[in-house]
Amino acid sequence: MKEVLLKVDDVSINFGGLKALSHFNLEIRQGDLKGLIGPNGAGKTTAFNVLTGVYAPSAGNVLVCGQRVNGWMPHEINHLGLARTFQNIRLFRALSALDNVRVACRAASAHVDNRRLIQLRKQGLLGSAAAGLLEAGTNYLDWWRALLLTPGFLRNEQEIRDRAGELLGVMGLSPRATEEARHLPYGEQRRLEIARALGTRPRVLLLDEPAAGMNTREKADLMTLIGELRDQFSLGILLIEHDMKLVMGICEEITVLDHGETIAVGSPEQVRENRKVIEAYLGDSYLEAHAAVGSGGAQ
Amino acid sequence: MDSAAVRVSSAIPTGLRGLAPFLIAIPILAALQLAVNEMPFLVYIASIVGVNIILAVSLNIVNGMTGQFSIGHAGFMAVGAYIAGKFSLQLRDVAISALPIALSDQILLVAALLIGGSCAALCGFIVGLPSLRLKGDYLAIVTLGFGEIIRVIVQNTEAFGRALGLSGIPQRASFFMVYFWVFLTIVVARRIAASTHGRSLWAIREDEVAAESMGVNTTGYKVRSFVISAFFAGVAGGLFAHFVPIINPGSFTFVKSIELVVMVVAGGLGSTTGSILAAIVLTLLPEAMRSAFIALSGGQASLAQKVDQIRMPIYGILLVLLMLLRPQGLFGNREIWDVLPRWFARRRKGT
Repeated sequence: MKEVLLKVDDVSINFGGLKALSHFNLEIRQGDLKGLIGPNGAGKTTAFNVLTGVYAPSAGNVLVCGQRVNGWMPHEINHLGLARTFQNIRLFRALSALDNVRVACRAASAHVDNRRLIQLRKQGLLGSAAAGLLEAGTNYLDWWRALLLTPGFLRNEQEIRDRAGELLGVMGLSPRATEEARHLPYGEQRRLEIARALGTRPRVLLLDEPAAGMNTREKADLMTLIGELRDQFSLGILLIEHDMKLVMGICEEITVLDHGETIAVGSPEQVRENRKVIEAYLGDSYLEAHAAVGSGGAQ
Repeated sequence: MDSAAVRVSSAIPTGLRGLAPFLIAIPILAALQLAVNEMPFLVYIASIVGVNIILAVSLNIVNGMTGQFSIGHAGFMAVGAYIAGKFSLQLRDVAISALPIALSDQILLVAALLIGGSCAALCGFIVGLPSLRLKGDYLAIVTLGFGEIIRVIVQNTEAFGRALGLSGIPQRASFFMVYFWVFLTIVVARRIAASTHGRSLWAIREDEVAAESMGVNTTGYKVRSFVISAFFAGVAGGLFAHFVPIINPGSFTFVKSIELVVMVVAGGLGSTTGSILAAIVLTLLPEAMRSAFIALSGGQASLAQKVDQIRMPIYGILLVLLMLLRPQGLFGNREIWDVLPRWFARRRKGT
């Protein structure tokens, strides 16, 4: 069994009296491709926001690569190996496609030794103070190198450019490298978001409705691509998606949320048969329609 | 993979890339210095323009590139001016004995500027660290408060001459020295903008949540841009103190901060060349108007003096017009060399 990269242990989050998410459990290992579905307002994106540190959980634990990250800043969690895309595309609109990925690559390369920092942080107050100083020191040194244009810095920059270019190539965006992100067509913006997330060298990738707004053909292509990315970058992937057919097609395990509660977990077949899921998500009309088709076929 | 397209090529060997611009600029500046030596009024105006360029370009790092709204830049300038001015006043009669007087003066001036700039940078750090953790408009309020606090402190401190200000600071800031710092500020701003660090600043400006999620320590980046910006504001203040006859709290009011914000906005948020151009135009505009009024009124100085008072309404009108006609500023977030070819292309197509 492969190492658990992301473990969500009984996480709840409340906004005032509203329970946005309660007793949410999840485990992602390398090579997993899991789905998270549910009707609008079920808490899917809230779940992503808790995992990536935008919100701190009210109860329960989030563990990334074995490290408890409750209350960590999003960039720290990202350095541990968790990257995401956004439901409503959040690219750096005025930057070129290449620069969008460069920003993510920098953040990752500047913290090559972030594992050492994290280990230091674990050793109490003194350790975290030392880690803070070390981090600030290396950062300032880095800025001076940028201002003096040292050969080492130029080499670094070239590496980052090359890597960003490579990732654009993987997502089929090479011809768009110098174009501003806001001028890209919608589907390419979605793919650029994935390229950017990959720039941070993640081990777990969270995709928030990556196929939203695409046509059937584009969706199918994207799903194939997601499967390939998982293998090429040895990722674990968690996917939020509205299109049932797609999720059923590629995910190995699906978690269904409704009103913040987990109402079903299991393989696509199990979930499809689940009475609660059909009621909450697919609706009675789906059931009736299928019953009608079934009876129609029997005649 | 088509990485050649993104490869930056240059004829200059990598070891020299950092120094090359200075090797070219210093002889040119020295030649210019010789040319303007006999024209004190021109040097004075050019120095004012230079100081404003430093201030606008450095403010652009925070307000333009990082997208934070600081309106207390005159406060950092005041810190630099008073600390550097005080330093030079104390050491007025001191010279490094092994060196010629002129050289020793310049070395002391650079020391004063560095001390003034560092103090301003320290203030930037102290002000920025708590307030840059917050999102949105809080920074504007804090920097506004900071600028006023500095002014009030200076106004009530005997050592800084209270409302009368400091006079008798040795006037050591030559044309060369001012424009060397102008050049340095521009080089730093451009290198920040081009580096991946700078791209991270832009990323914060574009979408802070996304930047944070992509591993950018947004608070750290914001504080660093703020500190760099404050440092150069301090140096500009220090230079200012070394060529004007007297510095007093009236030179560093809220109005001065707003003037700088207007320059940055007019030039286009994020555009270094835009800030430079706006700083030049908006500094020379009152001078030009003054001359024009003197000529129009047949030498009546009283009317010309009113120009200073109507400057702000004119700024206001300019800003309103700009926002109506070109809301992104003169060059938007691009540089002059990105924008001009396109304008010409459009004109050619039009005719």
